[in-house]
This record gives sequence, C-alpha cells and structure tokens, in this order.
Amino acid sequence: MTADELDPLIHVPTRLRIVATLAALPDGDALSFTRLQDMLRLTPGNLIIQLRKLEEAGYLVSEKTRNGSAQKTMVTLTKQGRTALGAYTQALRKLLGGLDTDAKAAEAGSDIVAF
Amino acid sequence: MNHTPDPATAENGGDFDPRQAAALLDQATWQARRTFAHPSPQLWVYRAVLVLVIFGGCWLSVRGQDPYSGPTPAIVPVIFSLVAINIAWSVWGITRAGAGVSGPAERKKHVWVAVMLVVFLAGYAVTAPLYHAGASHPVWGLYPASAPMLVIGLAGAAVAAAVRYWIIAGTLLAIAVVAAAAGFGGPVGEWLIMAIGMCAVCLGAAAVTAGQWRRSVMRP
Repeated sequence: MTADELDPLIHVPTRLRIVATLAALPDGDALSFTRLQDMLRLTPGNLIIQLRKLEEAGYLVSEKTRNGSAQKTMVTLTKQGRTALGAYTQALRKLLGGLDTDAKAAEAGSDIVAF
Repeated sequence: MNHTPDPATAENGGDFDPRQAAALLDQATWQARRTFAHPSPQLWVYRAVLVLVIFGGCWLSVRGQDPYSGPTPAIVPVIFSLVAINIAWSVWGITRAGAGVSGPAERKKHVWVAVMLVVFLAGYAVTAPLYHAGASHPVWGLYPASAPMLVIGLAGAAVAAAVRYWIIAGTLLAIAVVAAAAGFGGPVGEWLIMAIGMCAVCLGAAAVTAGQWRRSVMRP
C-alpha cells in the first residue's frame, strides 16, 4: 500500500484536523463555525475553502441560521464523513504497519552490514 | 509519534508524510476530546480531595466522641467553600464543553445535568424531615454520612446507564457500593469509610477519563 491510496480529501493537514475535530463530537451533533475556527486557529477564508471541499464530497453539511441580524453557521460531520475518516485511519494503520516492517527489515539489514 | 508537523508547511505543497498524518490525527483528536468532554480528570482529582477533606474532617471531629454528637459546626464553612468551588468548576466545564455545540447529544447532556441536580437535592432534602422528627444523635450521625450518597449513587447510575454515560454510571454505582458498605461502619467509622472509599472512586474515575482521552486513534 502507498500514500497515494489514502483519501486525498482527508490527507491534507487542515482538512484532517477539521474532520478529526468534528468526529470527536457524538454522532449528529453540530459545531459552530466560530468555535471550529477558534479551536483550529484558522483564518475564516481558509476554513471556508476547506469546509466547502469537504461539503462537496458529502463528508459534512453546514447549516446557516439567522437570529436577528446575526448569522450562525453550524457544521456537522455526515455518516459518509465518519465512514471516510474510519477508512482513512485504517488505511493509515496498514500503511504505517508496512513502513514499520520495512524499517525493521532495513535496520536488521544494516546490522548485518555493520557486523 | 511525538513529532507534530507544521500544518502550514505541509499545506503549502510540502509532502504530507503518513507518519505526520498519524501524529496530527491523534493530536487533533486528543485536543477535541479535551475540549468537548466533561468532567475532566483534573475535576475528578479535585473531587477526590474534596470528599477526603469533607468526610475525613467530619471523621476527625467525631472521633472519640462519647456519646456521639455529630461533626463539629466549625467544619461547615469548609464544606460550603469546597462544594462551591466544585459547583463553579463544574458549571464552567459544562459551559466550556458545550460552547458552540448543538444537537441531540448536547440536549441529552442538558437533561442529564437537570436530572442529577434534582437527584442531588432530593438526596439531601430527605434529611430535613429526619431532623424535624428529632432523630437521635446516632441516627442523625449515621444517616447524613452515607444515605444521601447511596440514593444519589443508585439513582444517578440508573439514569447514566439509561443515557449510556458508562464511565459516570460506573462511578456512581461504585459510590453507592461505598455508601452501602460505610453503613456498617457505625456513626464514627462511617465517615472514614466514606472519605477513603469516595476518594478512591473519584481517583479511579480520573484515571479512566484520562485513559479515554489519551487513547490513540492510530493504536486502538
């Protein structure tokens, strides 16, 4: 398995942090845009771009609510998004397991050479 | 796994190594768990100290009493101060954890808090008629030490299990077991059993909560 096989939508630092943060909430719960921005310390522009990409893939949904003049955006990870993160984590485990095995083999090999 | 990548560098065209991805996934998950969860292990440790000081203080004040006359009133300000800090810390923790969060689980949490508030008040409110009825000192000394915590533990554990808050359900059940066992310790020994038992339960809850927070996503 190679890193190319990891879900390219999640395998980006900012988007990985977004999905991992939302996945820590119980299923069906939503997080406000401002709280998410505060937690991840991202600029609003950057966060909007990343959220849009994830929303287009069906990994999350955002809902805008208006209370008087204030507008609030709530973001929820969808079941599809949770499944995608689960699959990404599994793939990453497999990949790192393979890398660890390769590294051990290389270490063993280098020991023999050194000896 | 301790190395954390600079997200900005990785975002701007840098290679996002799978090891870096694994570290970032764990770090983001830990941070989110710490932010959304309540009560924290630190609050559980504080509660362990609180019960040790309150019940232990009561035990020190009744030790050697003959006849038994109950804990000295001097400990009351200490109890109120420690409980007030616990309430303030809990309210702050619940508010912080739920800020910007909405949905079914968040609503369930609000119902849980309200139910537990009623259970707590009911657990201690039943001591009022006992006092009014002029109960003897041994009864009066035996009852408040463990009976309210027995009621709170059992009722709270049932409610927590119903809403699947398993750590809290286990903690409250353990508190009920300690309270039931303390009832056999007599008016004086009961305070000591409650102090040590409840302290151990709270420390156990702190350890389990901390373990849950630190559980790696990458190494299940």
